[in-house]
Amino acid sequence: MKKWLSLLVFFLLSLSSLIAQDKVELFGYFESQAMGTGVKNEFLLLYSNKLRVDLKSSLSEKVTFAANFDYITFHGKTEWNILDFLPPDAIAEVPAGTEPFYVFSYSDRHFLDNAYIKLSFKHFDLTVGKQQISLGTGYVWNPTDVFNIKELFDPTYEQPGHNALRLDIPLGSMYTLTTLFSPEDTWKDSAKLIQIKGRISRFDYSLIGIEKVWLFHDYTRFDDENMNFLELPGKRQLLGASTAGELLGLGVWAEYAYNWMEYSEDFREYAVGDFSELVVGTDYTFNFQTYMMIEYYRNTLGKTDYEQYNLNDWMRMITLEQKALSRDQVYAFIQHPATDLMSVGISTIYSVSDKSLTLVPTLNYSFSDNVEIFAYLYFNIGKEGKVFAKTMGNGGMIRARVYF
Amino acid sequence: MNKIIISGFIVLLLVPASFAQEFTGEDIIQKVNDLFNVESGYAKAKMTIMTTSGQKRTFIYESWSKNKGEKNLVRYLEPRRVKGQATLMLNNADDIWMFFPRTQRVRKLASHAKKQKMQGSDFSYEDMGSGDAFINDFSPKRLKDEKMEGYDCYQLELTRKPESDVSYSRLVMWVIKENFVPVVIDYYDEDDPTLHEKRLLESDIRVIDDIPTAMKVVMYNKNDNTQTELELLEVKYNVTLADSMFTERGLKK
Repeated sequence: MKKWLSLLVFFLLSLSSLIAQDKVELFGYFESQAMGTGVKNEFLLLYSNKLRVDLKSSLSEKVTFAANFDYITFHGKTEWNILDFLPPDAIAEVPAGTEPFYVFSYSDRHFLDNAYIKLSFKHFDLTVGKQQISLGTGYVWNPTDVFNIKELFDPTYEQPGHNALRLDIPLGSMYTLTTLFSPEDTWKDSAKLIQIKGRISRFDYSLIGIEKVWLFHDYTRFDDENMNFLELPGKRQLLGASTAGELLGLGVWAEYAYNWMEYSEDFREYAVGDFSELVVGTDYTFNFQTYMMIEYYRNTLGKTDYEQYNLNDWMRMITLEQKALSRDQVYAFIQHPATDLMSVGISTIYSVSDKSLTLVPTLNYSFSDNVEIFAYLYFNIGKEGKVFAKTMGNGGMIRARVYF
Repeated sequence: MNKIIISGFIVLLLVPASFAQEFTGEDIIQKVNDLFNVESGYAKAKMTIMTTSGQKRTFIYESWSKNKGEKNLVRYLEPRRVKGQATLMLNNADDIWMFFPRTQRVRKLASHAKKQKMQGSDFSYEDMGSGDAFINDFSPKRLKDEKMEGYDCYQLELTRKPESDVSYSRLVMWVIKENFVPVVIDYYDEDDPTLHEKRLLESDIRVIDDIPTAMKVVMYNKNDNTQTELELLEVKYNVTLADSMFTERGLKK
């Protein structure tokens, strides 16, 4: 214990010394957020406070160290019973006695989100440690990104760091070869990625291959030994491509991935089959400053008819194991600067497969140079059992963020 | 050798009185364009937005340009909210990429994004001057010379070419005869060429590395009654910049 304390004191002293010498940048933000949802004649509220402290040090031209520490506290309704939101057909599949396991708890947490060293050589960059991995050109959905799933109502929120070793090799000024290794228990279970990015005419292109273990759960089967739902680890092999550019004055992008799934004999019966995902999007800014975007997403794991949705489909979507419940969906967004400090917008996500939609009015306000406020409401418009069913509740979120 | 210099000096003395009158609109706009598009340059600038409600928003950024404005890189230093955000513009801003350090994401933008306001200011990315826009997007016509802001100026009208999708139907520009700095530029509405939308005023003109440079630029937005001031804190011309700066790798640095 004394040893650890000494080390901590040494670290803090070293850090303060480096900050004093302007070698380390210390910055970050504090955000306070309130979320509310009206469900079953009640309006439930969840509050959170997040402090993010970033450190960045460019030790030399070639060496950069960066890290950030997050501390998050939750208040209000911190336990949510997912069964309150599911349709009766799905609830009927819940194994008897497992209901308490459908309660999701928000507990205070603190963690090292990113911590990495970047070594920049003449011919390549090597990044080692916990780092954000952002893949693909899609705005809301990224078929080629097996590391993250974005929040539908808040797709630009930062993603968590992943432990990885990344090598970026520029090939001339137009192409970059990237390889990435994200270690797990064994070499076999570790994620491997190779990507080539390039530019042809007015378009950026990338080709990508990834192998990664993808952990699904079977929410209709309970594993008494692990006291959790049955885990279905499968090897996911992905081959994908993405592009972004301009066509007839419109911004356009597309992203596609085909996924081969491989399971051990034990899980083959419950396994998910091979599947593909596709995103196609376009955007435009009018001269009167209004910005508009439409993005279409297809996921062949999604169902074409809402009567086919089962407990696993719902739970995998809610727990972000799977990106979508229905097969085809469209995201549309329009934003206009209402004043010089405030932008208002509205987005809609329409499930083409089950014909339900959600409307999400948004507001961004620059309160001062380093304080911003973001808020949205959401209104689900669909009959019970559909992705955006009225029974899922209506609500909203407001977030104030102060940068330092 | 001395003879040549003396002859040259005499010719220069004669230029303002006689030859200046011979300049066509095309000649003048070409000289303005050449002035804007130096071979390479670095600048650190402070942008202050004055909103309708009287509030101020201040940004500080660094920018680098190469190949006469064909390649541009802008990186924000302040405020903390946008620190590290960067924009790479290649091929005279026909290709634009933005880097967002919080998400480590690089986003390719189509050229319509040039119409967006730069950090909510009265400058659009388009206004910030992208390569040969004055020449490629407009047809110049010389109007009657006028005195403007105390300077003897050429007055030019630039009318949008039919094939251009630039956001202004026409510009009227007052160019200082002495150094070809456009001291005032009036921007007119996209659809209504009589509707005066914005006015750009350049001042504090200093000669840096033999290039006349307006250290202060203010854009007045007539419609919104707002203004944005751009002040150059540091300028260097003809600096050596590696091509690797103007790549995705350089953008993410």
